[in-house]
Amino acid sequence: MKTLVSRILATAMLAAIAMLLLVAATPSKGAIAEPDKLVILSTTDVKGMTSACG
Amino acid sequence: MDSIKASYGQVVLVDNGGFFPMDDMHQDASWFLMDAMRVLNVDAVGMSERELRFSATYLRAQLKRSQLPMVCANLYDAKTKKLFVQPYLLKQVGGVKVGIFGLMSANVDLGPSKDSLRVEDPAVAAKRAVAELRKKGATVVVLLSQLGKVESEDLVTAVDGIDAAMIGHNVPLLQKGRMVKNTVVCYGGEQGQYIGRTLITLDDKKRMKTGDNETFILGPDIPDKKEITSLVKGFEDSFNEKLRRLEKERAAEDAKKVSQGAPDHYLGGEVCARCHPAEAAQWKTTKHAQAWQTLVDAKKDATPECISCHVVGYNQAGGFRDANTTPTMVNVQCENCHGMGTQHDAFRTTPRRVTEQTCRSCHTQQASPEFDFALFEPHINHKGVGTKQPLPVSPMKGQIPAGR
Repeated sequence: MKTLVSRILATAMLAAIAMLLLVAATPSKGAIAEPDKLVILSTTDVKGMTSACG
Repeated sequence: MDSIKASYGQVVLVDNGGFFPMDDMHQDASWFLMDAMRVLNVDAVGMSERELRFSATYLRAQLKRSQLPMVCANLYDAKTKKLFVQPYLLKQVGGVKVGIFGLMSANVDLGPSKDSLRVEDPAVAAKRAVAELRKKGATVVVLLSQLGKVESEDLVTAVDGIDAAMIGHNVPLLQKGRMVKNTVVCYGGEQGQYIGRTLITLDDKKRMKTGDNETFILGPDIPDKKEITSLVKGFEDSFNEKLRRLEKERAAEDAKKVSQGAPDHYLGGEVCARCHPAEAAQWKTTKHAQAWQTLVDAKKDATPECISCHVVGYNQAGGFRDANTTPTMVNVQCENCHGMGTQHDAFRTTPRRVTEQTCRSCHTQQASPEFDFALFEPHINHKGVGTKQPLPVSPMKGQIPAGR
């Protein structure tokens, strides 16, 4: 009985470690693409134009 | 914009100000653009004296209604000494704390607000705004400048701590920005036809290491955002009807004034064709002969700043009033290049040559960036066919890398 419990505990422990490793290896959803870059998109002097003359 | 946001996690979207229309007739475009910028989630908007043209009260009401994040660090209420709008914004963009502040020129006419508002020396306001933003933890500081080219460059040279400056107010378009001292500067085009992309590389402390800027034309190869396209179409459909009515009323009033004592006037191409049938026939093959239809298709046939380059003698003696009362004066005709028909007798002694300058009165760098006189001139010079190369279809096509 004791052996069985030990085995179950050991298996659970291994599964937990594997899960932790997997989580650590997977990029989190909150990771920022190109974290060393900042992009500024800008417009200026639109002067009331909602589209080009044509 | 969406694709840039997908490629780069840390993106800031700003408008530099100067977005209010050039004439009173287009006032509706001011509130519409404010709403559109909110839909686009613009992070900060600068301001110039143009935004005050319909009065400070009007702007205040529209800012309250639209909740547009407008910034200007040097415009004060003359009586209360309080800033007209917030001086700056501090935005957490991913892992970067970005400070954005705005400045307008002290040398401008504030129009109906000239007695109620006061503009502080931009350099004094800039030093204060930069210091406060840095103190509050901004690692990147961005200036939305409506000071024009020279004054803006002088300012970023004199005031330390500005990482990037977006420059507006009659600034010539430069496709590539440049570093001015330690500031990357964007000289960004106008009239909503261009977008500046400033790329800042950050160090470990999220401070600017290097900066680069490029301005792109928003040509047909860059797809519109669906949500905005339907918003613009809905607005333009109803607004254009209103403009047509107002333009007709104005044209009738102007016609009365112009007809009083104007010996020289426009005649229209049909009169010229009586003696110059070959040239008239060749003209019919050119894009000039369809210039009006392009405006109608774009629903800009009631927009004065567009009309003048698509008709003959807009609001001048004998020239175009509106499409109903002066239907023969639509399109770019003989007199656009050669001058008024009633001056014809003088052509023999003082002939008017069609030069690049003639074309450039309409084919400006802003409105017609693809224009190349050597390439376009053979299409309109009445000298027959054989040397013509196809005209470019899309201006500066492919300037923005695919997927960006």
